[in-house]
Amino acid sequence: MAHLAHYKEAHPTVFRVTHWINLIAMIVLIFTGFYIHFPFFAGFMGIARGAHIFFGFIILINCILRIILAFMVDTAQSGGTRKVDKDYKNWLPQKQNRHQGLQWIKYYLFMKKDHPLSGKYGVPQKLAYLAVPVLLLFMGYTGLALWAPTADMAFFAWGTALVGGIMNQRIIHYFMMWVFIAFTMIHVYLANIEGFAPSKIMFFGTEHGGLTYDPDDGVVTGIDEMGHEKK
Amino acid sequence: MTTHEVTAPALTNMLEARGVTRRQFLKFCGVVAASIGLTEAAIPDIARALEIGATSGKLAPVIWLEQSSCTGCTESLAQVGSPDVATVVLELLSLNYSETLSAGAGHSVEQAKEDTINAGGYILLIEGAVMEGWDGNALRIAEEKGTDIVAHAAQNAVAVVATGSCAVDGGFCAAKPNPAGAVGVQAFLKSRGINTPVVNLPACPVNPEWIISVVVDYLLLGKLPDLDKYGRPVLIFGQTIHDNCPRRGHFENGEFVYRFGSEEEAKGYCLYPVGCKGPQTYSNCPIVRWNDGASWCVEYGAPCAGCSCANPLKAGGNWVDVNAPFQKRHRVVKIGSWITQPSTIGAIVGGFMVVALTAHGFGMKLAGRVPSGAEFEKARAWDVKHPDKALFPKTLKKDGDE
Ligand code: HEM
Ligand code: SF4
Ligand code: SF4
Repeated sequence: MAHLAHYKEAHPTVFRVTHWINLIAMIVLIFTGFYIHFPFFAGFMGIARGAHIFFGFIILINCILRIILAFMVDTAQSGGTRKVDKDYKNWLPQKQNRHQGLQWIKYYLFMKKDHPLSGKYGVPQKLAYLAVPVLLLFMGYTGLALWAPTADMAFFAWGTALVGGIMNQRIIHYFMMWVFIAFTMIHVYLANIEGFAPSKIMFFGTEHGGLTYDPDDGVVTGIDEMGHEKK
Repeated sequence: MTTHEVTAPALTNMLEARGVTRRQFLKFCGVVAASIGLTEAAIPDIARALEIGATSGKLAPVIWLEQSSCTGCTESLAQVGSPDVATVVLELLSLNYSETLSAGAGHSVEQAKEDTINAGGYILLIEGAVMEGWDGNALRIAEEKGTDIVAHAAQNAVAVVATGSCAVDGGFCAAKPNPAGAVGVQAFLKSRGINTPVVNLPACPVNPEWIISVVVDYLLLGKLPDLDKYGRPVLIFGQTIHDNCPRRGHFENGEFVYRFGSEEEAKGYCLYPVGCKGPQTYSNCPIVRWNDGASWCVEYGAPCAGCSCANPLKAGGNWVDVNAPFQKRHRVVKIGSWITQPSTIGAIVGGFMVVALTAHGFGMKLAGRVPSGAEFEKARAWDVKHPDKALFPKTLKKDGDE
């Protein structure tokens, strides 16, 4: 078996909550976004727009909160260990990720047989999770540039003029939705393709046995079955 | 002062000779007041300003130059049907030169124009785009390049009013591929270093009430109206069509027209799915309305085409390039010679992801990585290659032992 053990320290409760909020807000935003783009059934526009802007603020606040919490909460330095560090250190590239980018690409392109070693998250995931807050803030920016109460504020009007008007701003916001959809598809796929244990710990905090790993030595040290795995 | 006192017999007679009643005139003054953000209380002032202008000749003279245009803006001003008060007032009061409306022709009017320019103190209305193509020879009038005519007339004017979208940013004349090099007046004057202030009145065609309101505003207050960052009067272009649309209730209720000729269309539902650009188009069309207040686009059933969107200093910002096709939610996107809708690109991206991930999933299964992943590497490839600088030496020892 070749999983690292999934310990609670990887995703403390508060981050499981922010992840739930992201999930719910994202579903609402994408559904209402599609509806605002083209109202494919009758009678829902008022609610769709209200819900969209409401959850738009929710996801922005949640994103900022998540970043602040990264400096306050400890998380595990990688899978298979209960050794913790401030979360932002595990969110940013770690020593365990150095020089591993190409290995990950080769692994996913089936050009490398062995699973690459990593810190918390492999290199592709790490880049994606670093991009998410940037993309979200940008999404919020283009969204608020479309929202009547804020559209005229110099900060947003400047961007609208830069991209050549509200039509372009809308199209950018719309394309950005597809970026999020593509991200979410890859994210869900990668998180679950090698088993559902990562989802169980992320959503419900259910621990799962597996290999143990020493992040300081960067080495797999043994196995902690936690009653899950039979050899 | 009451209203009947201010409409002096002189002006009343002049108007009545053209078929405009006093009643119509005062109603018109009310529209003008609304366009410049004044209440009905200002009607007497407006009427008086116009009347003084008419009788004393003190009103700023107006020159109307036509460049590359369909003459729609002149048509808009000279609407037939009921006598159009705006035209009559403008013509009576100030119009010293207009290619289409002037009664005279040939050298005598050209001379009148020249005299007005030399005297200065006039307002210059320009209809149509400036054609810079072929070194300005794309458009020639009376043996002169259009570019030179505009530059010459703008130099001495107190203000230039770019009348209609073509004059504002090139309008449809500047739509791609724009072979004749159409640009808006403001951009053109800027490139020539002429600093006469420009008021932009986009829309295709222009709404005549707006012209009069700018002229009257200038007369009453001695200054140009407040302008937004596109040089448009804030009071005219400060709210969206959508903000004041009579179909807005249907929008909020989600009652939409999806197809022309449908039952929903007959019910007067909102035109958003058939491409209405009202939510992003700034203009007071629903308030001032068109054709002497008769109706306007959305009211008579056409989705707003966004004809008053403007980007005077940015090439390609004209309303046609920005908003076409007019009956689709988004404008088209051009990638090389491929012309498509954003939603098509979105669907392609989404479809590609589904296919790619499904294929990859089968690959993972074949590689035996589902559901437990592959065995971990013993050491990082980089460490193996650079054992002296290894990040995690302990992984190497093990490896070496094997
Ligand atoms: C990542 C999540 C988001 C997605 C997937 C999303 C998606 C969309 C889509 C597809 C549209 C319709 C655009 C069109 O085709 O015309 C839209 C409109 C809009 N979005 Fe978002 N959006 C997201 C986040 C946000 C945020 C964070 C805000 C602001 C706080 C926001 C504010 C708006 C506004 C104001 C509109 C225009 C609505 C209207 O015109 O009534 N969105 N969104
Ligand atoms: S018809 Fe156009 S402007 Fe009117 S409510 Fe619908 S979308 Fe808005
Ligand atoms: S409603 Fe729209 S298309 Fe019609 S005149 Fe106004 S801005 Fe132009």
